[in-house]
Amino acid sequence: MARLGRRSLLRTATQVGVGVLAGVQSLGTHAIAQASSRTPASSPVLTYIYAGSSDQKALPDVEKALSGLAMERISASVKLVTFDWGTFDQKISLANAAGEKHDLYYTAPWINNYYTNIRQEYLLKLEKLLADLAPILWGSMTPDTWDAARVGGSIYGAINQQIFVKPFGPYIRADVAKDAGVEDAFRALTSYDDIGPIMAEVKKYIDSKQGGFQYVTVAANINATETFGYDVVDSGLVVKSTDMAGKVGLYSDTLEYSRAALTIRQWNELGYTPSEPKTSSEQQDAWKAGLSTMMMSGVVKPGGDAEIKGRWGHEVISVAIAEPLLTTAGSTATMTGVNSLSANPEAAVKFLELLNSDVRFYNTLCKGIEGVHWEWDDKASLLIRPAGGKASYADTGYNPNTDWQFGNVFNSYYTARSQVGAWPATADLNRNARPSPLLGFTFDGKSVDTERAACAAVAKEFGEPLTFGIVDPMTQIPALNKALQAAGIDRIRAEMQKQIDAWMAAKKR
Amino acid sequence: MIEAGRSDALPGVRMPSRRRFDAATVVVHIAVAGLALLCLFPLLLVVASSFTDEIALARNGYSIIPSKFSVEAYLAIFNKPAVILRAYAVTTGITFVGTILGVSMIALLAYPLSRRDFILRTPISFMVFFTMLFNGGLVPYYILMTQYLNVQNTIFALLLPHLVGAYYVLILRTYFSGLPDELFEAARVDGAGEWTIFWQIAVPLARPALATIALFIALNYWNDWTTALYFIRSPDLYPLQYLLYIIQSNAQAMALQEQVGQIGTQKLPTETARMAMAVLATGPASVLFLFFQKYLVRGVTLGAFK
Repeated sequence: MARLGRRSLLRTATQVGVGVLAGVQSLGTHAIAQASSRTPASSPVLTYIYAGSSDQKALPDVEKALSGLAMERISASVKLVTFDWGTFDQKISLANAAGEKHDLYYTAPWINNYYTNIRQEYLLKLEKLLADLAPILWGSMTPDTWDAARVGGSIYGAINQQIFVKPFGPYIRADVAKDAGVEDAFRALTSYDDIGPIMAEVKKYIDSKQGGFQYVTVAANINATETFGYDVVDSGLVVKSTDMAGKVGLYSDTLEYSRAALTIRQWNELGYTPSEPKTSSEQQDAWKAGLSTMMMSGVVKPGGDAEIKGRWGHEVISVAIAEPLLTTAGSTATMTGVNSLSANPEAAVKFLELLNSDVRFYNTLCKGIEGVHWEWDDKASLLIRPAGGKASYADTGYNPNTDWQFGNVFNSYYTARSQVGAWPATADLNRNARPSPLLGFTFDGKSVDTERAACAAVAKEFGEPLTFGIVDPMTQIPALNKALQAAGIDRIRAEMQKQIDAWMAAKKR
Repeated sequence: MIEAGRSDALPGVRMPSRRRFDAATVVVHIAVAGLALLCLFPLLLVVASSFTDEIALARNGYSIIPSKFSVEAYLAIFNKPAVILRAYAVTTGITFVGTILGVSMIALLAYPLSRRDFILRTPISFMVFFTMLFNGGLVPYYILMTQYLNVQNTIFALLLPHLVGAYYVLILRTYFSGLPDELFEAARVDGAGEWTIFWQIAVPLARPALATIALFIALNYWNDWTTALYFIRSPDLYPLQYLLYIIQSNAQAMALQEQVGQIGTQKLPTETARMAMAVLATGPASVLFLFFQKYLVRGVTLGAFK
């Protein structure tokens, strides 16, 4: 109630203040604005905001095609609004704060923060509407998965089904693996313990090449929590996937973290990695320029090798090492929410159902119009190609290339032969993954925000050098943990444990 | 650079006939030259990187002399010049129109405020000054622009916010009130009306001050990207600096996408292309600055002599 009050109070206050300043002129325009924002109830226009490249020339055509389809099925038309990726956060939060009446928008824990949006009451509670108006979407995922989106007992976003698990593992360039004679050994990997000898062989190969390559790997970040079966909740605090009691521990205090850090340090000393940390864009440039031969930790997923090839132009081999773990963060990584101020929430939810159940509708948004932007390459295996003999989808004028942002990616057509079959395989991966004991739990860190900010700063200061192996873990890990203690990690841990215990107790009942 | 101009000018005032290079002058000159070089170095690095071969850059890192010269980055940008040319048109357009409009409006507001015989002088001056102390903040600003003035996604959204700066009004008011009253009285005796006095006497005398303010406004318009971030949704209206900002921030957003297991959803321009974009965007601004510099130095010292 208090929050609702704050938002409407702010708007009233600004309207009064602004009204005085803007004077008579504003009276006319405001009346027009109100009139235009009101649409006839019979056929609403649904405004859908998402992130992407704003340079899609054919967007108006796609919008028209989608509106035509939507008008037939749910008697509504669609207005698509793209905000550039780098500006999405700022633009959408301004629009929300100003109380704009758009209907649907993309939200996730990592961009346009889902939990902040819930706290500010920018999102509509959806569980009733979904069950009533979107039965196919609602039934397409298990209650466990839906629980991941639950905050305070309610669901505020429709989960886009995609890869929920992050089976991390190493990648190696196929040509290097073959020439250095490590292909079989690489394919047989089951843990990072056995990768040392392979790297040694690759290093020998690189040295013999003299100048072609620069590093065995440009980043040795094998210390991702999921790699060792930890579900990271917040601020580097983790729960082991096998611990059904849900005891919270500090990741940088675990044996696995120390061992990984020591291994990375050793690689650095052996000259496998760069002598100084590389930013993520530098790492990508190094891959593109063919300076790096291996990637130590990437998400190994069906069709992933083809994606890498498309991006960097190198054929790669990958091996998953981490056991797939189904976590809250993984399940809620991409969602579509309905604006709490939407004039047509029912139509918005019907739109979500259409998007997630009608394959043609979904693919029109993802890939464009059949015959204009894409055409069938092999209809039996749902493989498409750019229309009219164009070399790439980018040349067709429509290529948002973010199927995972719009809805259930398992409905999406394949764009490359090597991708065919990836969706059922990914669905299997999701289904067979071990559910984290904390699946469905979300941490509310509001009461320890100060400590969280302090710990994030500490983790950045100490964590990055450790991840790149440029400092000695024997002294720096204790220093990191001591600094975290000073920053108040124990208070966060206590709060988290309290919430987890309460959540588990409620679940048992 | 302002500092450099100043310390150069001051000894010049004292000894106009002949420069004597005593030890102190030499030290000062070396220090100032060093400082100028320090300021220039990052800029040179960007220019050098933009002319470096992409692979050579990834391999050897940045250097002030390109390890392998290449104009690929510029060719790539001008291969599809529509985007950047449109951004140039938008930026130069708003800079040109905004500066002329802005200077005229500021002068028209500052001049009456400088006149002692203007009855509303104090209350209006206070209103101008008040906006420097308090403002509504971002969200009310956004609501004003989008729901009351309805200028979002139009060129006016880019023009309006920088049109009249309270600070510039106060500077110009002070300058106008420094002009001798006798001048205006003499003009009045000769039969000049208020407009004639303003256009024929006040404005010509205030030319250095007006030029300085014009430069500030022009730089505001040229460098502004936040206004576009808030109010512009159509790529056709992206100004240059905003285009640059998008390219840089998209790269950061990509890193985030990777964390959730989504690989490479967008083709990013290469590092060298981004540097070339930066060069193309900042180049004209620096030329503009050099052109106006003599006025700027004079304008800045104006306040000091009063």
